[in-house]
Amino acid sequence: MAQIPNLDNSPLNLKSLREQSQRDLVKILKDIRGKKCLVVEPKLGGTLSLIIQTSLLKEYGIELRHLSAESVQTDCSKVVYLVPSQRDLMKSISSHVHDDISKGLQREYFIYFVPRREIQCERILEEEKVHHLITIGEYPLYLVPLDEDILSFELDLAYKQCQVDGDTGSLWHIAKAIHKLESTFGVIPNVRTKGKASGIVSDILDRMHTEEPMNSPDMALSEINTLILIDREVDMVTPMCSQLTYEGLLDEFLHINNGSVELDSSIMGVQQEGKKMKVPLNSSDKLFKEIRDLNFEVVVQVLKQKATSMKEDYTEITTASQTVSELKDFVKKLNSLPEMTRHINLAQHLSTFTSKPSFLAKLDMEHTIIEASSYDICFEYIEEMIHKQEPLVNILRLLILFSESKSNWLTVKRALQLVVEDTDTANPDDIAYVFSGYAPLSIRLVQNAVRSGWRPMEEILKLLPGPHIETKRAGFTSSPSFGTLQGASNGLDKIADGRRSLVLVVFIGGITFAEIAALRFLSAQEGMAYDLIIGTTKIVNGHSLVETFFETFG
Amino acid sequence: MANVSVAAEWQLLYNRYYRKPELYPMRWKNIDLSRNKVACAPFGGPIAVIRDDSKIVQLYSESALRKLRIFTSSGVLISDTVWKNPGGRLIGMSWTEDQALICIVQDGTVYRYNIHAELIEPNVTLGKECFEQNVVECVFWGNGVVCLTEGGLLFCIPDFKVMSPCQLAETGAEDLPNCMAVIEPKYTVSGNVEVLVGIGDGILIVDEDSVQRVEGEMVQGPVQKLVVSWDGKYLAIFTHDGRILVTDINFKGVLLEYNCESALPPEQLAWCGLDSVLLYWDDTPLLMVGPRGDPVHYFYDEPLLLIPECDGVRILSNSILEFLQRVPDSTVTIFKIGSTSPAALLYDALDHFDRRSAKADENLRLIQKSLPEAVEACIDAAGHEFDVSRQRSLLRAASYGQAFCSNFQRDRIQEMCKTLRVLNAVRDPEIGIPLSIKQYKLLTPSVLIARLINAHRHLLALRISEYIGMNQEVVIMHWACSKITASLAIPDATQLEILLDKLKLCRGISYAAVAAHADKNGRRKLAAMLVEHEPRSSKQVPLLLSIGEEDTALMKATESGDTDLVYLVLFHIWQKRQPLEFFGMIQARPLPRDLFISYARCYKHEFLKDFFLSTGQLQEVAFLLWKESWEPGKNPMASKGSPLHGPRIKLIDKAQHLFAETKEHTFESKAAEEHAKLLRIQHELEVSTKQAIFVDSSISDTIRTCIVLGNHRAAMKVKNEFKVSEKRWYWLKVFALATIRDWEALEKFSKEKRPPIGYRPFVEACIDADEKGEALKYIPKLADLRERAEAYARIGMAKEAADAASQAKDGELLGRLKLTFQQNAAASSLFDTLRDRLSFPSVS
Repeated sequence: MAQIPNLDNSPLNLKSLREQSQRDLVKILKDIRGKKCLVVEPKLGGTLSLIIQTSLLKEYGIELRHLSAESVQTDCSKVVYLVPSQRDLMKSISSHVHDDISKGLQREYFIYFVPRREIQCERILEEEKVHHLITIGEYPLYLVPLDEDILSFELDLAYKQCQVDGDTGSLWHIAKAIHKLESTFGVIPNVRTKGKASGIVSDILDRMHTEEPMNSPDMALSEINTLILIDREVDMVTPMCSQLTYEGLLDEFLHINNGSVELDSSIMGVQQEGKKMKVPLNSSDKLFKEIRDLNFEVVVQVLKQKATSMKEDYTEITTASQTVSELKDFVKKLNSLPEMTRHINLAQHLSTFTSKPSFLAKLDMEHTIIEASSYDICFEYIEEMIHKQEPLVNILRLLILFSESKSNWLTVKRALQLVVEDTDTANPDDIAYVFSGYAPLSIRLVQNAVRSGWRPMEEILKLLPGPHIETKRAGFTSSPSFGTLQGASNGLDKIADGRRSLVLVVFIGGITFAEIAALRFLSAQEGMAYDLIIGTTKIVNGHSLVETFFETFG
Repeated sequence: MANVSVAAEWQLLYNRYYRKPELYPMRWKNIDLSRNKVACAPFGGPIAVIRDDSKIVQLYSESALRKLRIFTSSGVLISDTVWKNPGGRLIGMSWTEDQALICIVQDGTVYRYNIHAELIEPNVTLGKECFEQNVVECVFWGNGVVCLTEGGLLFCIPDFKVMSPCQLAETGAEDLPNCMAVIEPKYTVSGNVEVLVGIGDGILIVDEDSVQRVEGEMVQGPVQKLVVSWDGKYLAIFTHDGRILVTDINFKGVLLEYNCESALPPEQLAWCGLDSVLLYWDDTPLLMVGPRGDPVHYFYDEPLLLIPECDGVRILSNSILEFLQRVPDSTVTIFKIGSTSPAALLYDALDHFDRRSAKADENLRLIQKSLPEAVEACIDAAGHEFDVSRQRSLLRAASYGQAFCSNFQRDRIQEMCKTLRVLNAVRDPEIGIPLSIKQYKLLTPSVLIARLINAHRHLLALRISEYIGMNQEVVIMHWACSKITASLAIPDATQLEILLDKLKLCRGISYAAVAAHADKNGRRKLAAMLVEHEPRSSKQVPLLLSIGEEDTALMKATESGDTDLVYLVLFHIWQKRQPLEFFGMIQARPLPRDLFISYARCYKHEFLKDFFLSTGQLQEVAFLLWKESWEPGKNPMASKGSPLHGPRIKLIDKAQHLFAETKEHTFESKAAEEHAKLLRIQHELEVSTKQAIFVDSSISDTIRTCIVLGNHRAAMKVKNEFKVSEKRWYWLKVFALATIRDWEALEKFSKEKRPPIGYRPFVEACIDADEKGEALKYIPKLADLRERAEAYARIGMAKEAADAASQAKDGELLGRLKLTFQQNAAASSLFDTLRDRLSFPSVS
């Protein structure tokens, strides 16, 4: 199965976006004639694997390398760097060039910045005295479809940069990405934001509209009805909790990277000593699509059930006489066998982690903290973690959760019914199933925003960090015919061809798989008027989010 | 019939009709073409006139002052200027494609004028050799020129846009050529200009590198005149024996031959489209020769100038301008005397219809099947008309016919109306651009608009671009810039208002570009006012910087939210200003300040320290120093455990002192102090143990390492130095002892005193090390029954676990433990029984 997700079932034509990105990249490579060595920054390389197959790149006469501190070993006289606009990478590239010069190598250098060239990077190239030797270009990749309903801006450090450095460059990037989406799918008429960063993105987006007005007279034909912007800062509780959905747990323990996990092949039942293998995880895998968002407890049962029924079928086929069509059916079912095996292996591997008492104890503690029932127990638990020298990330994760659940938390928790008793994880009726009883705050906000907007819940919103804004884009309010149209359809507007209209939910600072599961759950509810599309700076979990704040010394 | 009069004006040449409608009576006064050098631009362009200085000045009737005058094609004066350029006689004068006037004088200097008779600097010269030998002849084409010197050398400017002259290969001939013609670069195989030189008894083809003699029968004997057709495919040659020949450009095949019976070559030889050739001697009628049949003579009593166009020739005299063209086919089918073509019948039908004659219907029925062609012919013919009323009647005929057509492209008429409106507007004598429809299509609307704005016909250009749905930005932009240049005396505020009033007509226009123009014209204040209106920050900010409005630039960049723009401004100011001034500008602005700090943190530590010192943020300096204290450790050249800790500790001490300066940072101060202390102790430990494993580890790790090494005294010393709590001490020591599997010591430790955290650490450490036996020593000592149950469960002792759980009366725990023992049927049922028993008393 390919790692590049199949986007055929997307509610938005994400395929065209991806194809555009493919074309842009191919054009860059074609325009540089002859053989060349393409040096890609490793993380970006991972992102690109979601857009284009590496084997395809080789057709354009390319030697592919990953950017590292070591200089590039190649016979090609042209070296093309494809890198994100990050200052720290400029030193490596400069040292490569200096290295070549000292060896008397004459090469042509190109740097393509993703998504755009930035003066702070070029400045360093100037200071390193290599700027004049390099041809500079841009590869305007502002977003990547991770799956049918997920777009990532691939801004790993966005949250840290905004919160710690005061560098809001990523917010401009997000606005630009949304602006680009709008130029394809129409201007989004309704915007709801919560949190400081969300407000800034919305402001920049408005500015972009005044700066470069979209020349579409048919603004009413916008495919996306509402944009909801949520700043991660508003809810730091949820990502700190251990995710309990299947995909969430896979991410917590095995780290899903660009839509796949890498693990020992022995775990997947392949006997190749010590070899690692990549297992793609996206909705092209039908079984995964079915179970990814379920609570892990349920996943185990579902898999068990499926295995049993298959076994029964098998016994039947070997004992009784079968018609040809029945045989056919059976063979069809057999086709799903590789998927079954894959997920049984994965689930089995996961349960070695989830059955550990330490994991259960941690879950227990997380729930105690969320319920804000006992300060002392939590405090002692965390102190003990420190004494036991548990990894710093784990300690910080719980500490953040602990400190976040202070002050207004009780009020918010009660008003938004964040803790739901007696959650039936097998037949859930609320998003709380994703954390076995805790309904993620962020998604509760989205749920309310979609249903009734901010107004009815203003008092609660005031208790959470940052402003909340609800706007209707100027172009829409001025057109009276559209206004009435909106009113008449009462928010339940459908696009002509019967598809539901769309809400784009953007998480600034990252979203977890558990939250994605909760959003999909909402989207699948009866009476839900919209399909949800998710935009995020990056898919995160408590671990990866906390790690961005680390600075390595020594 | 009405149609007769139209065809009556036509002349027949072989089987083709020609017509010669008058475009304008010339509005100029007292211009005698014979006494002037005249340059007419093709495509109905301007006419430059200057007295021919090779002719004697008529005293009293002409001013001694020479003036260069520029007229429209209708003879309306656009501009004039006094000619006082040095360099000798004016030899050649012609218009470029961009409508600049090129004037080449004897010494090879090239002067350029715009349509407003303003000299375009700088002047160019054709080179030293050209300067030494006078230029005697110039042959121009659309965008270049070839000049001949007295010495027979050829110089060329291949492209007026580049203006770099070059010399062509030398012909080596002694005599000067009789005549020259040029094949434009775009029509030659090499892509370079080729010159056909009629010299001696033949023709030479000269380019940059080579000279080639043309071989062939038809070039027997001297050639007197040569002209290349506008498409570069044919050549008209006037021979020494008075014949006019037309061949293809490679001298293959004679397409036309006519004996003019004149030993003297014509003064002007010009192509009329591609169908016929015109010859003009000033004392005989104008002669038009076609491929066959008798030539046509046109009689004039004035001197003439032939202006070749792609589809005919404009004939300029002192008093009128005419357009000689082959009558278009559609026009012929309609107006030819006796024509019964469908188009003619349709045109006739309209006439009947207007007169309410039933014959209209009859005509229509006759041509029912060919109605679409008839309509199309009427539309096409209308397009070729210069006469507005005839355009109208032809279009009415088309429209009348269209009403009876079911499948006709209806927008054809509308399109033609639009085109004709544009053409009629520019043909107006005031504007004076008599374009034919073919010329218009070839020129393209955008070039026409460019020419109109170049002639400062902004309003018309605006209207046309609006009418045909083109972007008006070009026009308004040019207008605004011209307005600024032209009215330097208008005060800034007034000027701004005038400009804004028009600029707002065009959404998305670049105010920054207009502002940049104002700045270039020394109107910095106006520029600042204009740039304020630029909505695109990415254009606004760089301009603000270039006009020195740094503060505003910083503000606008910040507002845009585009961090790249903020950096642009930051680096600009950083470079231009003194550090303190720079710091002052960014200090109170969060985004620029934070971006600067973020950048400087990576690359400009010292400068960043200066910044923090200037703002009094000593703690930030301290943090920087503290961070720097790690640097020496990174250096792979320095071995660990060396006196490296010296400079490191110095940096940390410095940081500590700075932290101590402010009350708010006592924690940091203390931490720094302890860090230094730890480093010192670790260094001592490395010296005493001779093992480089301590430096840069944490206090806990240091303690554990000491215990693992068996150095309990040192471990205790670290514990005391840093006031490590008993709880932590126990965890550390238990795990350290388990690491080295010193179970004896562990047991001894457990008995030292009652552990402050109970026995759980002991149990966990043993279980983690997979030592069930050791674990069992401590499990019974666990005070919490649930903990005890779970510990038993972890080492697989189901019964003990169950007992403890039931003692704890915890049903939930029993359930969970049962799950753990799921594989073990006996254990599983054990839990069920216990749980059942448990639930009973809790009910009561």
